Amino acid sequence: MNQVQKNLRVMLLAFEVEMRQNLTDGFVIFGILIQPLLVALMALWMLKGKGPDYAIFVVVGSGMTGLWTTLLFNGGNSITGERWTGTLEPLVASPASLRMIIFGKVLANVAQSLGSMIGSYLLISTILGYPLTLARPALFAVSLLVTVFALVCFGLILASFFILIPDFARMVNTLEFPIYILCGFLFPIALLPGWTTPISYLLSPYWAAQALHGAAQGTLTTGQILADWGWMLAFSLSYILISGKLYQVILRKARVDATLDIVGN
Amino acid sequence: MDAIIVRNLRRVYKSSDGIIKRKVKEVVAVEDVSFEIHQGELFGLLGPNGAGKTTTVKMLTTLLIPSGGSATILDLDVVKDAGKVRPRIGFIFGGERGLYWRLSALDNLRYFASLYYVDTQVARKRIPELIELVGLQGREREKVEGYSRGMRQRLHIARALLHDPQVLFLDEPTMGLDPVGARELRTTVKNLQSANKTILLTTHYMFEADALCQRIAVINKGRIVALDTPERLKENVQDLSVVEVEVYGMPPDQIEKIKTLEWVVEVSLENRDQVQVLQVHTPKGAEAIPMLVENLNGLRLGRIITREPTLEDAYVRLVGGAK
Amino acid sequence: MLHWILWGTDMMERISRNTRIFFEGAFYSYKALFRWLNPATYLASKVLAPLTIMIFFVFIGAYASGSNNASFYVIGNSLIFAASSGIFGVTMSVGGERWTGTLPYLFGCPANRGAMFIGRAFMHILDGMLGVFIGLGWGILLFKLDLSQANPLALLLTILVTTFSTSGLGLLMGCLSLITRNVMLVNNTVYFALLIFSGANIPVEELPAWMQVIANGLPLTRGVACARTIIAGGSLTEIMPLLKEELLIGIILTILGYFLFKVFEIQAKKLGTLDIF
Repeated sequence: MNQVQKNLRVMLLAFEVEMRQNLTDGFVIFGILIQPLLVALMALWMLKGKGPDYAIFVVVGSGMTGLWTTLLFNGGNSITGERWTGTLEPLVASPASLRMIIFGKVLANVAQSLGSMIGSYLLISTILGYPLTLARPALFAVSLLVTVFALVCFGLILASFFILIPDFARMVNTLEFPIYILCGFLFPIALLPGWTTPISYLLSPYWAAQALHGAAQGTLTTGQILADWGWMLAFSLSYILISGKLYQVILRKARVDATLDIVGN
Repeated sequence: MDAIIVRNLRRVYKSSDGIIKRKVKEVVAVEDVSFEIHQGELFGLLGPNGAGKTTTVKMLTTLLIPSGGSATILDLDVVKDAGKVRPRIGFIFGGERGLYWRLSALDNLRYFASLYYVDTQVARKRIPELIELVGLQGREREKVEGYSRGMRQRLHIARALLHDPQVLFLDEPTMGLDPVGARELRTTVKNLQSANKTILLTTHYMFEADALCQRIAVINKGRIVALDTPERLKENVQDLSVVEVEVYGMPPDQIEKIKTLEWVVEVSLENRDQVQVLQVHTPKGAEAIPMLVENLNGLRLGRIITREPTLEDAYVRLVGGAK
Repeated sequence: MLHWILWGTDMMERISRNTRIFFEGAFYSYKALFRWLNPATYLASKVLAPLTIMIFFVFIGAYASGSNNASFYVIGNSLIFAASSGIFGVTMSVGGERWTGTLPYLFGCPANRGAMFIGRAFMHILDGMLGVFIGLGWGILLFKLDLSQANPLALLLTILVTTFSTSGLGLLMGCLSLITRNVMLVNNTVYFALLIFSGANIPVEELPAWMQVIANGLPLTRGVACARTIIAGGSLTEIMPLLKEELLIGIILTILGYFLFKVFEIQAKKLGTLDIF
């Protein structure tokens, strides 16, 4: 096996292990599946006045809230969670790269939360009988793939914050809704005061939401959607580069401060 | 040839308390520890709780960075060459953490096999062998959360052996096991040594170290206080004998008084059911009995015997008895 | 005569003892919360998190209607914050016993169950009211919420009653936490159900008929309606019938929770499931 194959295998197994563990945890299933469905239902009623065409906007937007919440809570906790189970030490002491393991774990969470987008699609189209059509299905599918990749890369950074900043885990509740607001999941950011716009531009979920909404509703040109992908990929690349150094720092720090096996912060 | 060389290893923990005024406290966990372990040797690190055993093991397994000194494993530095050390060592820490409880033993092993880059074909063959070795066959598809303590501990051993490491660290592997489970585990350890692995075992049970290890380092308060074969450690106290007296309600100041007596080397007091057993190490042998009784006047006494010293007595003398 | 005096002192002792149990329960359940959240973080989550939730719904509302109807969402979501401390706070303080393994000691002690039980909810009622005030405060600061028409006493009463009724729901959920491992899951479902059904974000009359039935059975729904009426300048007598119903729902939930607590206690002792989780 060469190094790429080895890393790929580590990532795939981390993915599988995380998936299996999540599926036996009711809380995780709720967060991943049911909460976004409830958000979708609520948004559907709130945006009723916009007409039935907006149902697809609701499906995509509430699906994005699900993606973000999962990324924040489960993805962010991927390292801290291992510390709670006492498995962080064996992971760190193994020759595998922790970044690969975390990538696999975050990917599992994000992939599972895509299930919620499919769930709200089915709920809204079959049970509630709204017409749901994707204006540009191929572009939408690729946008979704790029989104997943971008969010997982962001998750890598997020997970390290949980270790680096002791109060981060406790503040995490406060971070759930600001992203919903700033990234235009369920309303356009044009409604927000102008000074917040640059912040939105710095967040890859914003570009993701723009691409997905645009492809779903057919409101953007192919060129615009390609530009959104470009932003997401550029951010992902920088996150990957930053995470390399970041993980070295946190692992070194944890071995100096003896915090690999400490529960809590 | 030496598989592990430890030179003047030192580790300090910093802890801070207080919310507004943060006071930083420094605790020295390991101080100036040096030893070598030969290839294929089963080496014991023996000491009471909090003596620095686990800290030493964690520095050697690349999980803690030493505050001072150095250590090499198979000529690789544990800090500089951590990446090269890791595939060559296996370790288990006592206790039940460190496994995925919601997964089966098989899944746990499969996962760690991939983390250790064990070839898929090799893993497919080795995992069932290891499950057999640690006696989990028939239960390997059940979730770990349903396992007993002993089963989890044995699964830890299987995990540590997945990549067939040359060097093994076993940190209190029998901790919390019932006597039967602990005996089975010791047999497993013995078998591993015959497979020519270098093993560092830590324990606070003397008999365990005595039964398994070729050499023992006794560690107390972060420092190594003795390092030798079990036989030689016992010889250290061979010139002494132990007088055991059953007493009832021994006041602490009386123990202190006995310690100061010129013919007494070490004193320890142990509570057994309703009685306390006073153990006095002395070169005088049976002659010491009347002198001792004289110093215990006023106390109700039970059985009095003299006996040969054991490794436990050597240990007690090294780490201090009734302190 | 002497008999009466003895009875009287005995009564006094019992009252003072139960009062102590009540306040100790209240104090410790709040302290448990602070063990997890340090004061600064608690404040941030108490002050900042509600703001972000409020902004989110206000803007969806603005997007939907094209007009600025912020007050509707500000009032609705402020009361939702009462529900969140009522449900999560109370459940944690009852369910926390299970996780810390102190439940057997609690069930083994002779303390009055009623005082112990309600005491746990008390601090969270205060905490919930604080949440409502903070929510309304943000509304005034950022969303031009106008309280000048509101009768302060009536508003305070509405907030108190609503917080009480949602805490009642919290007590009931807390009891469930004694039998299920996944209480947070149940809690989240209930919390989101309140978001949808209570009229905080969607006017109840816009819901389908069957959902309106559920909405009217839940706490909070009437409280939200009362608060909106009061802030729009309505009088106390106007909302009194609704407020009484809200209070009644709270009382029913609390009593239900208390009996469930007793039932589980007896069940757990019979089946020996106190330590299982």
